[in-house]
Amino acid sequence: MKIAEKKALKRESIIQTALQLFSSKGFHKTTIPDIAKKLHMSVGNLYNYFSSKDILAKEIIKYTSNVLGEEIREVNMLEISAREKIRKIVALYFRMAERHPERIEYFLRVYLANREVFNDGCEGMTCVSGFVTEIMIFFDDGVSSGELRDQDFFSAFGLFMGYLGGMVFLKGEEMLTKDIGQYTDDISLNIYAALKA
Amino acid sequence: MIIRELIEKIEGEAELDFTFNEGKIEDVQINFGFYRGMEEILEGRDARDALVITPRVCGICNHAHLITAVKAIENGYENAGLKVALSPKAKAIREFTLSCELMQNHMTWFYMTILPQLEKLTGEISTQNYALKASYFSSTVTKAMSIFSGQWPHSSYAVPGGVTCDPSYVDVMQAENLIDECIRFFEEMLTGLSFEKYLSLNSLSSLGSVEGDLGKALWLIDKNEMAEAGQSHDRFIVLGDSVLAKPGKAQATKVSNVALRYVEESVQTGTTAKAVSYKQKLYEAGPLARAIVGKEPLVKSLHKRYKDSIFTRVFARVHEVATLLVQSKKLLNALQLDEPSCTLGKMLEAVDFEGEAAVEAARGSLIHKTSVKEGKIENYEIIVPTQWNLSHGNEKEEGVAVKAMVGSKTIQDATFIFRTFDICSVCTTQ
Amino acid sequence: MASQKKLKLLWLQSITCNGNTHSFLNYPDLATLLSYFEFVYHPVIETPYTIEEVAKGKLECDILILEGSFREEGFTRGRVEVSKIFTAYAKRAKHIISAGTCATFGGIFKAYDPEYISGFIFDGEERTARYETYASKLISLPGCPIHPKWLSYVLMMLLKEKPIPIDELHRPQELYGITVHTGCTRNEYFEWKIDSKGFGLKEGCLFYEQGCQGPYTRGSCNKILWNDTSSKTIVGTPCFGCTEPSFPKRALYSTKTNMGIPATMPLGVPRRAYLTVTGIAKSFKIKRFEERIITYDH
Repeated sequence: MKIAEKKALKRESIIQTALQLFSSKGFHKTTIPDIAKKLHMSVGNLYNYFSSKDILAKEIIKYTSNVLGEEIREVNMLEISAREKIRKIVALYFRMAERHPERIEYFLRVYLANREVFNDGCEGMTCVSGFVTEIMIFFDDGVSSGELRDQDFFSAFGLFMGYLGGMVFLKGEEMLTKDIGQYTDDISLNIYAALKA
Repeated sequence: MIIRELIEKIEGEAELDFTFNEGKIEDVQINFGFYRGMEEILEGRDARDALVITPRVCGICNHAHLITAVKAIENGYENAGLKVALSPKAKAIREFTLSCELMQNHMTWFYMTILPQLEKLTGEISTQNYALKASYFSSTVTKAMSIFSGQWPHSSYAVPGGVTCDPSYVDVMQAENLIDECIRFFEEMLTGLSFEKYLSLNSLSSLGSVEGDLGKALWLIDKNEMAEAGQSHDRFIVLGDSVLAKPGKAQATKVSNVALRYVEESVQTGTTAKAVSYKQKLYEAGPLARAIVGKEPLVKSLHKRYKDSIFTRVFARVHEVATLLVQSKKLLNALQLDEPSCTLGKMLEAVDFEGEAAVEAARGSLIHKTSVKEGKIENYEIIVPTQWNLSHGNEKEEGVAVKAMVGSKTIQDATFIFRTFDICSVCTTQ
Repeated sequence: MASQKKLKLLWLQSITCNGNTHSFLNYPDLATLLSYFEFVYHPVIETPYTIEEVAKGKLECDILILEGSFREEGFTRGRVEVSKIFTAYAKRAKHIISAGTCATFGGIFKAYDPEYISGFIFDGEERTARYETYASKLISLPGCPIHPKWLSYVLMMLLKEKPIPIDELHRPQELYGITVHTGCTRNEYFEWKIDSKGFGLKEGCLFYEQGCQGPYTRGSCNKILWNDTSSKTIVGTPCFGCTEPSFPKRALYSTKTNMGIPATMPLGVPRRAYLTVTGIAKSFKIKRFEERIITYDH
């Protein structure tokens, strides 16, 4: 394995580990030594990869946004109706909430809750554009095919992502009576009913 | 005996059938060919698309179509209960750009139609390249206009509520300089008089001091004994409001009020051009009408002697350039750039409306009427100035240009008279 | 000035508004240009032959300039069907220039009778049956109207027998290789995705709300300025795409958007790339772009 590849793998494992710690313990309560310790690496070496905790936090949001964006992108590339795409996006989102709850927890509990950390460098959509772009493409395709109603981007975006985020939040609070995946059909239908032309 | 003559270089062509009786023209039938369907092209489109489509009626008076189209929409909005109040700045800029189009038209017509045709008619052929003179003046004045309108021909810079441009004083200064250059042309090429001296002319006799190309044209008309030719009903109409005249109509020099609702359009046989009349009477439209209705002293003094002859008609059109140059300077000088350019927001809720407007285009009153349902044009009507002048007439009276030609001894004389109306074939066959 | 033999130009019209004729007449360097050429016929300039003489199809010409939309039957000049006149001279001429969008693609008048009205050699962007015969002579100069400098450039290149690189629709690349967006004074606002807050403002880009087609319209309107001074977008008017085979589209003063996303992307830019850049650019509030450029105090 080449050095560059090794370094990339190491970088990703730092992100994964930090993501878990930030999501479970909270951003402020997690320190760089905590992360280094869990990875069995020296604090000094970790700083070679990320020069501050804030920078690491920003890289994590970009990373999770890109992972989610990639999955939605695959849905966007399918030759299926907007209704079916909604079903697939909801399903993949909930699957992520089950398999990698830390990714969504991070978004809800770290990214949205600690704006002072992200204001410089992650303004607006700069760090989440990986997935926001794919949602834009989904909307654009749906409206141009005539299946979805034309409306303001944010009114549609808020409905879609706010709804999904809310459900994952309820799951995190252990309020849901069923597995989140079992809500997929109803929620897909609700979103479709709200967005259709 | 009927002789059919093809007239070209009138922004297209027309065929005139001259009926001769005892060596004189007794009647003329004017025929225009292909109809281009502009009104149909507009149907089903967004109301504002008329601001892009209607200028394409005509390559020479496109700007007048734009201004009429935007005023028709604004009138429609007002009829639908939406207040449209333009800033003085937006009004003045529109007035200025339209004035520039009138000036380019008049000078293009004078140099490219009147002078060459007069030379042919009188056999006084010069080696002058009149096209280049026309081009020089026209490109200068349209440049001044384009500072605000973006381009000429085919600008669409007037929108409901004002204009799209937001000029700076650097722009205004450049426009003023270009108008000054037009004045210099007027002095050196057209009249051989200082502008001040020209503006002080106040009588027919004082016209003797006019030299330059205008002096030459007046001399050639006189030499060909045509100064009194081409008289018609001596009846004039101005439906648009402009710096030149308030709306009104005149029988000889007696001026009275007008209202758009009395304008009637009707189909004529043998031509794609529709006739237009006011309370069933035929009126001359254009610069001569504006000068008479607007009581322009110098033109009135010519009219007193020559009535509505080609001498008065040709002079009135060239003289209008002087008036417009003066007005243009005033408009530019008075611009207050801190006023808003457009007072209507981007979202307009008026979806059903009927609007109409009349504007003074180079050749006379231009009318647009738009009926809009759910934001889309249901019906669009355009009445162009040439229709006023070229209608065949009705049972009671001959058309304006027809009457002007009747009595001529030759087709050459008659077609020259025809051209003094500044015919626009493309407008007429919109 | 011109010492060599002058090339003969023949300017013919079919269904037109004369806009190209008058645009050409407003060329500030007309005198210089015309010193190299002579008009056998021109629709408004005094020329040696009448339209009826021209219509016989027997005159000599080097360069045929066509203006106006074309139909096979039902439109005459000098009492002869234009299709006959055009064909006669298209065969004789060494070069054919379609001047304006009407002559090139069909343009605005095509909308009245789309089945029968087209350009002379293209119908929209489709080739007509005449293409094979005349393609080797053809230069397309779409635009409603043409800019006199575009025509002047082509004429001078032909005069000097220099090659004119063209694209698949026979448009000179020097004129149509860029978009109308190139050189627009509002480019900073496009970069940062700041829309104009309405008509009549120097500030803001017209692509997002006001219907500007500049980013996907081929043409050099903001490089070779109109009337040597300005352009539509400089004076706050959206570009209406008048050089394109699709001209005129509908709803020309508003941008077609899907949930706020422009339905047509800048020429050749993938939507995903555009939206990524947009999302990021929009995330920043830049004070200078929110302010008026000039403030007048009293």
